[in-house]
Amino acid sequence: MTRSVTALLSLVLLLFALASCGGSSSSNGGTVTLNWWAYNEPSGSFREAADRCTRESHGRYRIAFNALGNDADTQRQSLVRRLAAKDASIDLMSMDVVWTGEFAEAGWIRPWPASFARQVRKGTLAGPLATATYQGKLYAAPANSNTQLLWYRKDLIKNPPKTWDAMIDQAAKLKKAGRVEIQGAAYEGTMVWFNALVTSAGGRILDGPTKVGGNKQALRTAARIMSKLAGSKAADPSLKNQKEDQNRLAFETGQAAFQVNYPFIYPSAKANNPKLFKEIGWAPYPGVEPGKPAKAPIGGFNWGVSSYTAHPQEAFAAATCLRDPTNQRAFAIKGGLPPTLSSLYDDKAFKKDYPFAGLVRRQLEHAGVRPVTPLYADVSLAVYTTVSPPGNIDLKSVVKKLTERIGDALKSKGLL
Amino acid sequence: MIGTRRYAGWGAVHLIVLTSALFPVLWILSLSLKTSGDIADGRLIPRAFSLDNYFGAKGIFKQSIFTDALFNSLIIASIATVISVVLAAMAAYAIARLEFPGKRLILVAALAIAMFPPISIVGPLFNLWRDLGLFDTKAGLVIPYMTFTLPLAIYTLSAFFRDIPWELEQAAQMDGATPAQAFRKVILPLAAPGIFTTAILVFIFAWNDFVFAISLTSTGRAQTVPAALSQFTGASQFTAPVGSVAAAAVVVTIPIIIVVLFFQRRIVAGLTAGAVKG
Amino acid sequence: MARAAKKPLTDRARAERKLGLLLCAPAGIVMLAVTAYPIANAIYLSLLRSDLRFPGQREFIGLDNYVTVLSSSLWWKDVLHTVILTLASVSLELVLGMLLALVMHRALFARGLLRTAALIPYGIVTVVAAFAWRLAWSGSEGGFVPKVLGLSTDPLTQTSTTYLVAILAEVWKTTPFMALLLLAGLALVPDELHEAAKVDGATAWQRFRRITLPLMKPAILVALLFRTLDAFRIFDSVYVISNNGVNRPLESVSVLGYNTLLNRLNLGLGSAVSVLIFVFVIFIAALFVKGLGTSLDEQTGAGK
Repeated sequence: MTRSVTALLSLVLLLFALASCGGSSSSNGGTVTLNWWAYNEPSGSFREAADRCTRESHGRYRIAFNALGNDADTQRQSLVRRLAAKDASIDLMSMDVVWTGEFAEAGWIRPWPASFARQVRKGTLAGPLATATYQGKLYAAPANSNTQLLWYRKDLIKNPPKTWDAMIDQAAKLKKAGRVEIQGAAYEGTMVWFNALVTSAGGRILDGPTKVGGNKQALRTAARIMSKLAGSKAADPSLKNQKEDQNRLAFETGQAAFQVNYPFIYPSAKANNPKLFKEIGWAPYPGVEPGKPAKAPIGGFNWGVSSYTAHPQEAFAAATCLRDPTNQRAFAIKGGLPPTLSSLYDDKAFKKDYPFAGLVRRQLEHAGVRPVTPLYADVSLAVYTTVSPPGNIDLKSVVKKLTERIGDALKSKGLL
Repeated sequence: MIGTRRYAGWGAVHLIVLTSALFPVLWILSLSLKTSGDIADGRLIPRAFSLDNYFGAKGIFKQSIFTDALFNSLIIASIATVISVVLAAMAAYAIARLEFPGKRLILVAALAIAMFPPISIVGPLFNLWRDLGLFDTKAGLVIPYMTFTLPLAIYTLSAFFRDIPWELEQAAQMDGATPAQAFRKVILPLAAPGIFTTAILVFIFAWNDFVFAISLTSTGRAQTVPAALSQFTGASQFTAPVGSVAAAAVVVTIPIIIVVLFFQRRIVAGLTAGAVKG
Repeated sequence: MARAAKKPLTDRARAERKLGLLLCAPAGIVMLAVTAYPIANAIYLSLLRSDLRFPGQREFIGLDNYVTVLSSSLWWKDVLHTVILTLASVSLELVLGMLLALVMHRALFARGLLRTAALIPYGIVTVVAAFAWRLAWSGSEGGFVPKVLGLSTDPLTQTSTTYLVAILAEVWKTTPFMALLLLAGLALVPDELHEAAKVDGATAWQRFRRITLPLMKPAILVALLFRTLDAFRIFDSVYVISNNGVNRPLESVSVLGYNTLLNRLNLGLGSAVSVLIFVFVIFIAALFVKGLGTSLDEQTGAGK
């Protein structure tokens, strides 16, 4: 008995020893430590930005980088729960562009004071700025943006199509690689697609933060295009499971002539399939009606300052630094994240890696912003669970179903 | 001849049981020993063995999310174990030795609470913890752990205590021992194995919790291993942290295997005591 | 006994009573505090519109949340998922657990080894067990199963295969517990009955059906009760196995409650889900207790 107890105790002690040999955090006296929670940007450019801004503050603050989960849903879950619990260990956070309304309405993030807000607005593109604004107030600083382009194979396609209908028809006629790669799984990516189609058709998913869009024709058109692709030869057989990375892979391995996706696919193809890389062409996001340019999707991240931070002044200063031209250039060149500052699009180094920089900037100026509402997460869930899988869309009932579900979501009613 | 055939038959049966019990464990061990390049190759046995997932530059012992969680798990499960075993020992002693009204009620209540779906109380606890500042604290986890550790401890301990020959205490006193001596020399040695077994069981249960951990904690301040496991981040947005998950899974499994190896007889007795006699 | 109760209590009995209550009080109070208060609070919250994203809009709305949940197809879909998971895993566990119990009961050698091997899956953290199965089956995370079976699509994006993996993980982890409870029941079956039946020429199967099973009925019912209630609140393995972010192929009622409460922060609606789960659990428990009562009565031969 005594022996077994001793054995058990030593086991516990060993585990403690193992546990405590990990990293420990210590705080410096005098300097304010700001906890920045951001997604784990793979190239490490976020961590470097934190170090750079810490250095340049000359002892005023130290930015401690803390990694959030991998996908946007996980990141939001972790932040939202802690903000609801008034957790003071978050000073700064990276926010997906669609969270602004929710976080602002709940009182979790601070509106930017006039002096800082002026600095942020200066030289920032209209699209990204709109994503950081809620009810006329600036609630976050746009740090990087993103948009989808139409990527095509120059060896198979002479003239890239201007509309979805044309693209689907063109792909279906191809003898090989006759596929259109797009996100169709039940997740945010499909919401992005649907929203782009609706806004390109002249409608909106929501008219105002709590009102379902009145232009039903646009909803119908968007659903029709999704359903058309799903039913055509051009659809990827696993469309209902496709996310951005699966699309990239299918295109990279030569299975598709078209892909609608973010620019991260470009450096990836360069590394993984240099032969195919030479044949990649790009064109504006396809429209819905001939002669009418599309409203392309806009993504990216904004920096927000928590309402529960003990050091708001330092936090605003740090957030401003973390999105200054030097850092944004590093995000763009190292991490492939399109900047939100207009001037950087003329930067030579950026243009070399981003030959489509001009197109990206044009699209960001006229982007189809996803609904700005405190209930965004619910609305998005209601939309993508209705239109995914795209192959199951029933064109007769889909608009009614969408309107009902979005309506329920807006009343924070209904299970999702 | 028949004897050897029977032995061979039983050998085969043993082999089946062992394989099905251990295969998933061995698979996760094999995964954890693969190099980062081979992790997705789908081979059962690693092409090259490596401890990088444990001790490498990006190994789990260099990731504070894991080391903090391991520390928290140990602290939280230990505290929950001590509190519930002490409270339960008092109650179980009373139930085994004393006559008083409401004796059965305690046991029935313990059983009923053991059946409780934890998800039913997570919402109110989260809401309350927000206001009390207990969200993401160790105490904020120890308290809800009482919902399952305490009934388990009461049930197991009262089954053990019922079998203790309490007359021995009186016999010892009659032989001239003081009450303190009688308790220390006679009762404690008789009760200790039961208490020890109960503590092991309670610890395993607390170590296992996921629902409370994932709902009521969020950072290294109080997050336990199961919750941390589900939040590991990969090297990039598109790579799953398979190596880290596998290595961490192995680390939290080793103590369980050791405990089971040493104390299997006791654990079995503890697990079935309450259920069968109750 | 009955006469003693009528008599005035002796000092000694009164002191014993007091000590007994005193010793039980801490445990009793803690258990009550950590369950009764939260569940009462959950019932209260379920009658409110209370969404933490709109702290200002808290109001009493009666049974609206229940109407919403009970008229939602998602709720019933998840109930169905949970029921299927419960039935499939518990019945598989019963069969396999009985086999394992018989093996452990009759084994000629190395019983300790068998017990140790069986206890390992039971002792392993549920989340770890779920990861072991997920990583074995996942196409995108290097699992060997899709490779061995030559599957082209990732099994964990399909509802049917996700079911299979969740059930396998659950069965693997909890069959040992079932087996141990049944083993304890098996030990209560007297060997003489078997010997007598053997002399009468009964086959092994006949002996199992006519002697072992009836005598084990209470043990089986207890084991089933434990496992059914446990399986119905399944959360950990479903969360881990179907948490690939794509299509949520499988969701249990507990996961639905969790998502509503802690991801959507809709406390009112989420509490309604939690309370309904609670009601389901009580209902299942009541069914079993009734069954257990009748079977015990049958055995003792008197329905007191």
